[in-house]
Amino acid sequence: MNRRWFGSALARINVHAASLLVPHVDRPSWTREWTAELHHLCHVPEDEVPESEDANPLEFSFGAYNDAFWIRCDRLRADGLSGLRSGSAGRCGLLLATAACAALLICFALPGARNALLLLPYRNSGDLVIISSRGYGGAQSPSIALADYEEWTTDTANLYREIAFYRPTIKGVHLAQHDAVRLSVAQASDNLLRLLDLPAVPLLGDASESRLVLSHSAWVAHYYEDPQMVGSTVDIDGRAVRIAAILPDSDWRLPGKVDALLLENPQVLAALPSQTRGFVVARIRNSAFPPPRGGWRRMIETRDGVTRGFDCISVRHLLGQPFVFLFALLLASLALPATTALPLGDYPRRRDHLPVSVNARRWIFLLAKFALVIVIVDLCSTDIAYGLYSSDPVTALYIQIATAFPALLFGFRWILQDQRKRCPECLRLLSSPARVGQASCNFLSWNGTELFCVRGHGLLHIPELPTSWFGTQRWLCLDASWRSLFPDGCSPSPGMV
Amino acid sequence: MLADAKLSHTAAMILQAIHAGQIYGFSVMQMTGLPSGTVYPAMRRLERDGLIVSKWEQQSIADAEQRPPRKYYRLTRNGRATLEAAYERYPLLEKMIPSPEVEQA
Repeated sequence: MNRRWFGSALARINVHAASLLVPHVDRPSWTREWTAELHHLCHVPEDEVPESEDANPLEFSFGAYNDAFWIRCDRLRADGLSGLRSGSAGRCGLLLATAACAALLICFALPGARNALLLLPYRNSGDLVIISSRGYGGAQSPSIALADYEEWTTDTANLYREIAFYRPTIKGVHLAQHDAVRLSVAQASDNLLRLLDLPAVPLLGDASESRLVLSHSAWVAHYYEDPQMVGSTVDIDGRAVRIAAILPDSDWRLPGKVDALLLENPQVLAALPSQTRGFVVARIRNSAFPPPRGGWRRMIETRDGVTRGFDCISVRHLLGQPFVFLFALLLASLALPATTALPLGDYPRRRDHLPVSVNARRWIFLLAKFALVIVIVDLCSTDIAYGLYSSDPVTALYIQIATAFPALLFGFRWILQDQRKRCPECLRLLSSPARVGQASCNFLSWNGTELFCVRGHGLLHIPELPTSWFGTQRWLCLDASWRSLFPDGCSPSPGMV
Repeated sequence: MLADAKLSHTAAMILQAIHAGQIYGFSVMQMTGLPSGTVYPAMRRLERDGLIVSKWEQQSIADAEQRPPRKYYRLTRNGRATLEAAYERYPLLEKMIPSPEVEQA
């Protein structure tokens, strides 16, 4: 008996929960029917309980979810976009969400934009820096002489846990059964991949010999994904080098276009001219050198009486675009009050007090619009900056700021204007603007534009000229007695008198 | 909907169950063996197509039996004609859910 009672109680809760999924207009009728049938089912004498599964109140109540889902889909099918047009808050949200999804899809379709969006593949990238002698802007070109790098490998052990060098050059790579191809090969110290701490790039061969790590795109473009390539020997400018691994394209995010990495042992690297310039990557020691949180940190070196400065630039800052976008967001937020008024208008408190949920919905809608616009602008600016200019990350940073800042400013202005034109109760766009009053009577009366909510929730008065007694737009609430005058006024309103 | 409009087997079973006197949603479910998530949406579609009509029981009757009023369904003239046409397509329908006339015979 207790079990049956418990099942009935649970079924009743289920039915009421399912009714919440039903559109507001249909809800009372469906809840009433489900409840009546459930009551009948729960009060059938035990010896008359039918054997079918749905005769169990709980099973019956789970079916209500299916019903509710069907009702929701059916209503969407019937109303289509016209239903969303009448409820323009939903339509607005849907359009913004669609735009965000489209921008995200484009972002994933463009390799440069996708890389900028994804997190860096390197473990502990917070202490990973690029050392540049030409400042932040010059970090994309090789600026450190090999002689400096070699001295730092021994002199700066207290500053850096590990330090690596690479320099991209165009070299001819020849494999017996394939044609010779010209590739951008980065001659690198053999600890480069270990320093980057990539999740899994197994290397063939031992560190004493020179090894070639081919990028995935070069492997596909020039060697047609030949699986026999790994382990085979290629000829690079007359030297026989073994291909040790294929590097996924997403794993190379450091400056410089690299089709292949030629990992050299220190002796081979030392044989290069001492003034050969390349990139230097290092892992900083947190105890001696706090991570460059602001983006970069200056390192001063005095040697032979000559003082020189180098910049340790955080790889995360150099390659990670959220910092740039956040900067654009800050700029746009600061500029917004200078370009438009921030107040949303004068909305007097109603005597009958709107439910908290109605008030909250208005603010949630506003915040959702802000969130969606920020996401859209972030993704679109990433698409433009990194999708079209991925070869030069520094230019991409500037392009992202240049596109994100005006887009955010425009977006924020639109959000505020859109919010001001909506009914605070049903969030629909107000309609039928009408000019009221005469400008010549402005001293004794007001003149401006009047809009109304098609559901009869109220009127919005926007003054033509702000005065001391009518400075901003003002909302006039109408009680339920006015509803019959409005086309959509029959539908129930929350907080109706 | 025209009388010769083609019905799905589920819709035909529901029409036949209502014709057989199962006038409440739950009794239709019991008779046809269809789950609640199928029967109610199908009945709403049939109602929209004008094959059945629904009506709420009088409150006084429900009050007398100390229960909430139930919604009952019955076939319209169109619904009856559509069901007659469906017998040709689903000849076993009448045997599965015998209508009162068949039972009396």
